[in-house]
Amino acid sequence: MADNAKPKVGFYSFSGCEGDLLTIIHCEDELLDIFAAVDVRSFRLASSDVHNDEPLDIAFVEGSITTNHHAALIKGIRERSALVVALGACASFGGPQSARLGYDDWEKRFKKIYGDAKLTVARAFESQPIDEFIKVDCYIPGCPIDKHQFFFALTRLIKGMPVEFPSFPVCAECKWNENECLLLKGELCLGPVTAGGCNSRCPNYNLPCVGCWGPTKEANVASEINLLKERNFSETDIVNKLRLFGGAAMVRRFADLLGIEPQGPLKKVRSKKEDKHKPIVTAEVKKVAVPKGTKTKPKTKVNAKTGKKR
Amino acid sequence: MSLQRIKIESLARVEGHGGITVDFKEGKLRKVTVDIHEGPRLLESIALGRTPSEVVTLTCRICAICTLSHRYAALRAMEKALEIAVPPKTQLLRDLMHCGEMIESNALHVFLLALPDYLGYPSAIHMVPEHADDVQAGLRVKKFGVRLMELTSARPIHGENPVIGGFGKFPSKSDLLHFKYEAESLIPDAERGVEILRNLQQPTFMEEGMTFMCTKPEHDLYGWVGDRILTSTGEEFNVWDYRKLTNERVVPHSMAKRSRYKDKPYVVSALARFNLLGERLDGVAGEHFKRNYNLSWIRNPMYNNIAQAIETVWALEEVPRLIDKLIAIEENPHVVAPARNKGAGTAAVEAPRGTLYHHYEIVDGRVIGADVITPTAQFLDMMESHIRVGAENLVKEGKTDGIELKLEMIARSYDPCISCSTHLVRVRGL
Repeated sequence: MADNAKPKVGFYSFSGCEGDLLTIIHCEDELLDIFAAVDVRSFRLASSDVHNDEPLDIAFVEGSITTNHHAALIKGIRERSALVVALGACASFGGPQSARLGYDDWEKRFKKIYGDAKLTVARAFESQPIDEFIKVDCYIPGCPIDKHQFFFALTRLIKGMPVEFPSFPVCAECKWNENECLLLKGELCLGPVTAGGCNSRCPNYNLPCVGCWGPTKEANVASEINLLKERNFSETDIVNKLRLFGGAAMVRRFADLLGIEPQGPLKKVRSKKEDKHKPIVTAEVKKVAVPKGTKTKPKTKVNAKTGKKR
Repeated sequence: MSLQRIKIESLARVEGHGGITVDFKEGKLRKVTVDIHEGPRLLESIALGRTPSEVVTLTCRICAICTLSHRYAALRAMEKALEIAVPPKTQLLRDLMHCGEMIESNALHVFLLALPDYLGYPSAIHMVPEHADDVQAGLRVKKFGVRLMELTSARPIHGENPVIGGFGKFPSKSDLLHFKYEAESLIPDAERGVEILRNLQQPTFMEEGMTFMCTKPEHDLYGWVGDRILTSTGEEFNVWDYRKLTNERVVPHSMAKRSRYKDKPYVVSALARFNLLGERLDGVAGEHFKRNYNLSWIRNPMYNNIAQAIETVWALEEVPRLIDKLIAIEENPHVVAPARNKGAGTAAVEAPRGTLYHHYEIVDGRVIGADVITPTAQFLDMMESHIRVGAENLVKEGKTDGIELKLEMIARSYDPCISCSTHLVRVRGL
């Protein structure tokens, strides 16, 4: 197939650890296949062959937005891309750097670190997920993402098919793996409220879930807090833990439970109704990026393959 | 022709977001800056008030490529603060996990990020049609490193298995043996990287003498962890004194702070380790070192690439030795509980790209002070200096064609980790 018939794809990175793009680079066995299946127009971490002014079928974006420079760039990416996919916790929820959203202490913290020095690079502000600035079509969660979920999303999106990830929590996977319940053993585990898809990686190693996939769609945070309080965890520790990876999702959905008064940009956001029903992990495929001549018949085989890996 | 300005907006094939600006005035070079566009994340301030184990989970997120170096440094610092001594088997598994990261990061840099420049390609993917064997060899070595990180830490990136006081779970004997034999079989692939770089002409237009620093291992062998810091000026420091070594300042063109030692730039890297400890390398890696080392290694940052390639060979030789020792100890130790809930601790480990410091202060089981000094923040000044010398020489000799790529190559040879570099920060209290 000639390159111009392949879907054009770009990989972009903002503030974060680049762990999501690195997860893709770590796909040694599949890396060459990925580069063969799509026409990669930009992947700065892997290649200096970068074309940043062309229309794209899919833009994959990792990292959160922390400067006005980033904000302008992400808007530009949105304008020339049919689909925008948020890769990982930082792009989806703001990541650990958004753990204090709503506390309104960012300027104080910034000053503490950089002092009064004048920076000429860009105007910085508190970390926000990319959907504070643009519309996002699909969210791939995780810190970092799981490569199987990425393959699943990529193959579905280039065929013009919707992407759905598990709506069950880590707890469900943990049961399937027949692990001993860490909550019952007195550990501060976020398994009940965290989106599944990691195959309960940490509990498999006798370690409590740290919540890096973000809250699941039906997360009952109130009940989790009560449960942990009964086990004598302090409210501060519970809230800290929930907020480490929960970022903007926690503020938007559970501000009242966590005792946060949303400030600044998050204040203006969505109506409450929208908040409640905003799915954490779904794709709304509007414009389809189908290569010419490709038939789009649904393949249940692909569907069964992912979702969760056992 | 009068050159006004060379501007590389965004460096490719390096981790994070940085650029280079070179300004000229009336044909003379006026200013060189390595601009760091990475947004501030202020993770150290997020750490305050949290439990030590949460902070370990947090600080390893500073960087994905050196996630386990961050985790290792954080664990060591926390354990010093909380008076925890880990048993030998835990120590051995940590050394093994560190080998995994060194192999992963060095192979990634040598084969996929640095080599395309030398051979004239925009990426390793573009090298495939003509250099398939080299790319495949590099991918095999890197994949082994990634899998070793997964085996020891539970995930290729940000694995949570290494915890304060030990590991959640130890790998099985059969898995370990499998990795032992695989490591042995991959040594020729890693040597391939050394051979390719050895036969390439190293550019010399940027040469300038360097001051080096690295962690001194606690034994007489080569290694990456210890409580003392060696410098090429012949001095030795306790890691507690890390602030004396890494005087920092804020510069306007950068979200990263900069380090200097005695007001002079210095270098931490595989090249620094080899200049200070290369004599300790044994086995096949030791032979490669002796065959390739020359006095240019103290002036030319490009030799960092071959140093990383040789270090990868050494790590693959070290893996079987560590695994033999690991399986000789039958019982898997439990996680060691802290002896106290307050204290302060500083630790240094060698990340693939140089010495990394973590320092924490803990009161009532909560972190009240956090300080992280990354290798990239330490060597940025020297990198800028080499780019300046390089640009000056190229302009003097009228070799300005493709000058951008040549300057980028200098930056890439350092293997900078720009996400990391913005975390040169000391925070205490909120």
